[in-house]
Amino acid sequence: MAIVELKDVTYKYPLTESLALQNIHLKVDQGEFVAVIGPNGAGKSTLCYTIAGFVPHFFKGELTGTVEVAGNESSKSSLHEWVLNVGLAFQNPFNQISGAKYTVFEEIAFGLENIGVPREEMIQRVEEAMQLTGISDLADRSPYSLSGGQQQRVALASILVMQPKVLVLDEPTSQMDPIGAREVFGVIRTMAEKGMTVLLVEHKVEWIANFADRIIALHNGKILLEGKPQEVLTSDLLANKGFGISRYTSVARRAKDLGLWKKDSLPVTLEEAVEGFA
Amino acid sequence: MNTFSMYVARESGLHKLHPLTKSLLTLLLLVAGLTLPGNWTGYILVLFIILPLALWGQVFRNFIRIVWGLSLPFILSVVIIQSLFWGKGTPIFEFWILAPKVEGALFAAISVGRIILVMAGFILFAMTTRPDTLMISLKQVGVPSSLAYIIVTTLQIIPRFQSKASTILDAQRSRGLETEGNLFVRSRAVVPIILPLVLGSLVEVEERAIAIEARGFNSKREETSLIEIPDTKTQFIVRRLFFMLMILSIAARIAWQLSN
Repeated sequence: MAIVELKDVTYKYPLTESLALQNIHLKVDQGEFVAVIGPNGAGKSTLCYTIAGFVPHFFKGELTGTVEVAGNESSKSSLHEWVLNVGLAFQNPFNQISGAKYTVFEEIAFGLENIGVPREEMIQRVEEAMQLTGISDLADRSPYSLSGGQQQRVALASILVMQPKVLVLDEPTSQMDPIGAREVFGVIRTMAEKGMTVLLVEHKVEWIANFADRIIALHNGKILLEGKPQEVLTSDLLANKGFGISRYTSVARRAKDLGLWKKDSLPVTLEEAVEGFA
Repeated sequence: MNTFSMYVARESGLHKLHPLTKSLLTLLLLVAGLTLPGNWTGYILVLFIILPLALWGQVFRNFIRIVWGLSLPFILSVVIIQSLFWGKGTPIFEFWILAPKVEGALFAAISVGRIILVMAGFILFAMTTRPDTLMISLKQVGVPSSLAYIIVTTLQIIPRFQSKASTILDAQRSRGLETEGNLFVRSRAVVPIILPLVLGSLVEVEERAIAIEARGFNSKREETSLIEIPDTKTQFIVRRLFFMLMILSIAARIAWQLSN
């Protein structure tokens, strides 16, 4: 059953002429892990803000069509109720630190204090979230004394701890090292398997191919392509439009032109490439 | 550890006091220093109350350093302006057109006492009170959470601004901006530093608003608190006492004013 449903959504930011999103139709099932790709200015972040309720509640502007999460319609709900169902974390971790807390532990608890979770339950949930994101050892540090990657983990933990039905993540690993990012993708995958619905904006295509169930390619505010990671990421439609394409796909495409690649489908990951060339 | 606040972690008795007790004490000292009749109240309060408190709070040396650094520009300007531009009086010395007056210097000394009192009061409070515990206790006495948030984050704004400004300064220098030299060269460098600082802060405000909203900041549910701030019956009574003293000192001032 679809937990997120966008019907013919078109949106324009205030004081702008161009449409940030155009006729978006999108259904996401509960527990599904959807990744969104696209060049700069394609509308990825706007899509995140729309599902998270900040469009139109926070940014104003003109929204047509309907956005539904768990049966509620965003234009008919208030933002403070909406955020209980949909969690949002975005790229810049520094600006996601509340600034009112002294330690990482308290920082993660900030959201739970706001929504009135009892103290014992709060402590338990914060400890779980820290363990999941691998930051238990940072509990007593000041959030401002951490590295960018560590701060991103704190930002992710701060949203995971709220236990939203839908998790919207806008490039949550951009400041992490490759190993750290891989770890975090693993965590997000686990959350999806436990029933949390995930929408992730990400440029690291080789990895989302391994973790996501479905990929949506956005271009100029429209959905250009949608489907299984392997199909979308190797599609010719993405060529020359500024999409990130896996180097394995590029190599195999070249090899195919030279008659060296025998399979029908192109690879996205190292494993697929090795298998195809073997 | 870069925490973006003046707070210095210590295990002192002053640190352990309830934030409300400390804020009322600070307020009382300021009110008393500025309203009580007498020219030297500021100095007396700093010398006999604030300095011993700073010792008790185990932050004495840092405290002196910060108070000195922050009040010096004010002190200098008050002393220079008041002593030089005092209208009529006994000159201390005369040199060219400069003739500082005794009366002006005296007035400056009285003002400096008040400046030091205000500075020292706030700084000692900020150095010994964790911003988050202040926020919680403000909310407990009925301050709306958005106002409490603003108060607490404002306390941290100066160190954060300083750190951002130095980052921008380095970035602009590495692109060839001249920041050293005569007054003219230096003043030309102000715009390329201030502009990114202000615009960047506006973007930061928007993102931070989204981030805290996403974490239920505007939730209508009754808030809970992770930290429990220890309070005692004695402190409760002491706070009442501070409050009454504050009223008394204002009343004393009004009575004194009327009788003159």
